[in-house]
Parts: sequence; C-alpha cells; structure tokens
Amino acid sequence: MIPEIGYIRPRNLHEALEALGASRETVRVIAGGTDIIPGFHINSRRFRDIQTLVDISGLPDLTFVNLENDGLHIGGAVTFTDIVKNPLIREKYPLLAQAASQVGSVQIRNRATIVGNFVNNAPCADSVPPLLVYDAVIKIQSTRSEKTLPLEDFLLKPYKTQLQPDEIVSEIVLPPLKKEYRGEFYKLGRRRSVAISRITLAVLVKLEDLVIEDIRIASGAVTPIGMRFRELEEFSKGKTAEIDFLKELSVKLGEEIMKITGLRWSSAYKLPVVQQMFYLLLRRVCNR
Amino acid sequence: MKKINIRFKVNGRQADLTIAPNKRLLDVLRDDLGLTGTKEGCDIGECGACTVVLNGQAVHSCLILAAQANGAEIITVEGLTQNGELHPLQKNFLEYGAVQCGFCIPGMLLSSYALLNENPNPREDDIKEAIAGNLCRCTGYKQIIQAVEAAANESNE
Repeated sequence: MIPEIGYIRPRNLHEALEALGASRETVRVIAGGTDIIPGFHINSRRFRDIQTLVDISGLPDLTFVNLENDGLHIGGAVTFTDIVKNPLIREKYPLLAQAASQVGSVQIRNRATIVGNFVNNAPCADSVPPLLVYDAVIKIQSTRSEKTLPLEDFLLKPYKTQLQPDEIVSEIVLPPLKKEYRGEFYKLGRRRSVAISRITLAVLVKLEDLVIEDIRIASGAVTPIGMRFRELEEFSKGKTAEIDFLKELSVKLGEEIMKITGLRWSSAYKLPVVQQMFYLLLRRVCNR
Repeated sequence: MKKINIRFKVNGRQADLTIAPNKRLLDVLRDDLGLTGTKEGCDIGECGACTVVLNGQAVHSCLILAAQANGAEIITVEGLTQNGELHPLQKNFLEYGAVQCGFCIPGMLLSSYALLNENPNPREDDIKEAIAGNLCRCTGYKQIIQAVEAAANESNE
C-alpha cells in the first residue's frame, strides 16, 4: 500500500527547490518512482517518513543532454532510455550507455532516472561503476546553495549519500575523455533482464605503446557501494600490459574486494568470477 | 489527505478525475475508469502485467502515481481495438496460440505495441528485449514472439 501522502508537481527546477526548502514536512523528490513506489509496498524503512512527494519527472530544465567545453552535461531527470538512445553518450561514454541498456526492463528504463540510481545508492546501482571511471562530477542545488562535487565523494555508504533533504542533484557532468581511452563494462545478474546485479565491473585504460599510462577501475554489487580502486590504479601505472601483469592485477582486485567485504557465503563463487572476468576485460581493453 | 485534480487522455478519451495522491495509475485505470484489462500482478515492477503505453512508451502503471500521468496520453489494451476490429497484434496472438490463461497478455500486447510504433521492422532480439519485462508462465514466449513478428509483417505489407 502507498501511504497517505501529499503531492506537488512543480513547473520547473526553481519551484521544485522552493517546495523542498519551504516545507516543514518530510518532503522527498520522486522522479521515475521505480525505487520509491516498490519501497512503499514493502514498507521500507527508508521511505516510511515521507509526507509529501515533489515530482520532478520530465521537468524540461532537468531532461537535457548537452555537450559543452567542460564535458557532457546530463540533466537530473534524464531516464535510462534517454541515455541508451543518446548518440553522444553511445559514442563518447559507451560504458554508461551499455550499463544503462542492461538496467531492469524497457518499462523500468522508460521511467527510472540515472540520478535516481545513485541518489538511492544501492550497492548494485548499475550506472555507478561507469560514472566513477568517467570521473563524473555532480551539481547539487538548493534554494540556499549550489555546489559541485565528485560523485565518488557524494556516495557515502549503502543507501546513504551526502544529499540533504532540501537538495536536488540537478546534473551530472562527465569530463571530456581523450579518445585513446578504451573501456569495458561487465554485469552479472541471475538472469539477463529485470536482474539485480550480482557483480558489476568497469575499467578504462590508456596505453602508451604497451605501457599503462592511466587506468581507472570500479566495481559495484561486490562492494558495499560502487567504488574506485585507487591503490590498484596507482600500482598499475607505468607497468607494461603483458599477460602476466594483467593476471596479477586481476588476482589483486579479487583480494582487494575480499578485504573490503570479508568472507561471504557467495565468495567461493564470486571471487573467481570477478578475477576471471576482470582479466578478460583487461585483455580486451589492452588488446592482449 | 488533500485530493488533487488530474486530467489525461485514455484511449483517445479525455478523463477528468479528483483523486487521492497515493493512487497509482493502475488503481485509477481499473477502479475509477473501469478499464480492468490492465492487470495487477507483482506491484513492484517485475512482472509487466500492468504495462500501459504512456506518451508512446511502455511503462508499469503500478509504479506511476496517477498524478504523475497528468496531461499524458495513455493507451490500454481496451484502446487497441479500433471500430470493433482487433489490432493486428491481437489477431496474431490468437492465430499463433500465444494466449493461455491470458493474464500477462494485455501487458505483452502493449509492450509489443510500443515496440512496433517505434520500430516497425523488429528483429527477433528487438522483440525479446521489448517483452523482457513481461512474464508469462503458461505459453512460453515462442508463440508470442512469432505473433509479434507476424503482426509486424502484416502491417508492413
């Protein structure tokens, strides 16, 4: 059952921010609703205190995708379908398009927003590993302030971010990426569609001859939240992308994840899959 | 709970309603408008039985508040039949034995309808992707896919 709630439909971002800022009630943003509405149904503690919903779905000033000098700007109410169909994203940030195309089903992707995905910050949020390897920066607005910060800093722990009750993530900015970068994304679910991820991996590599000049590694679902592996990245820079090194790096990624999560019932299965899949991804991006 | 006024078009007809904000589009379609072809299945966006077409896109009516559909154009399974004539998709679902218990079929039809409107020449993979969010536990999916292919071919003739 959906509890008794109030509903506000602002006409633009400004009105949405005012609605969030002015109310003394527990007001929450709804966009696609694909997390909130099922959350109501299972009486999730995370949504129990909501008194009023402010609906930002489809707001014209939040549904843009623009290429500017400082990168690609994606509005706060852009849906996964918008992402999948956008030729700029497919061309310049293919890992994001690939991850978006595997979220839920057509019906989910038509409603669910990419910002909602990481504001909810489930461990399995499919868009997070690609956004992290693309060094995504987000813009957060309220009636009292406007700030930008790296997505990596915004995500705190499972289902918890830095977002304050009166704030809206109004856009994502993906910085320009040199075309020498090659990337891969991998998702494992229990089935191909409408599947919650069990493992997600994203990797971006820039090689100079065979030397790893830059590498960015991120995982989701096998870590408490989507995260980057900075130490491994530093360890890899300057190394030659030979088979032996790629193997070593893949083993280390598995060890690193085990350090973070500890031993779980699923570790016996997931650890070798993570290592094998990451090894395959590395071989593909390094052409080895 | 303060009621709100909404208006949208369902199957080409204007609907003006005063509703509680916690009503889902599914509830309004079935209970207020009597359009019970749209089915309630899982309620959490996994089974696709409640699928309708909203502004040209297949969506779960169980995951959308009715208020969010304000101003939209909606098509339900009742809107597929034109002048008493079944839609080519409906005819071919019958032709190919794609229907057994029928509970998933309105959702299947609307997912397929949205697909064909956007892509009149779908490949088998496109059809599979379009109905991946619609569960059927009786017929299997083969006959459904064949029916969508046949409907596409018929419409392109």
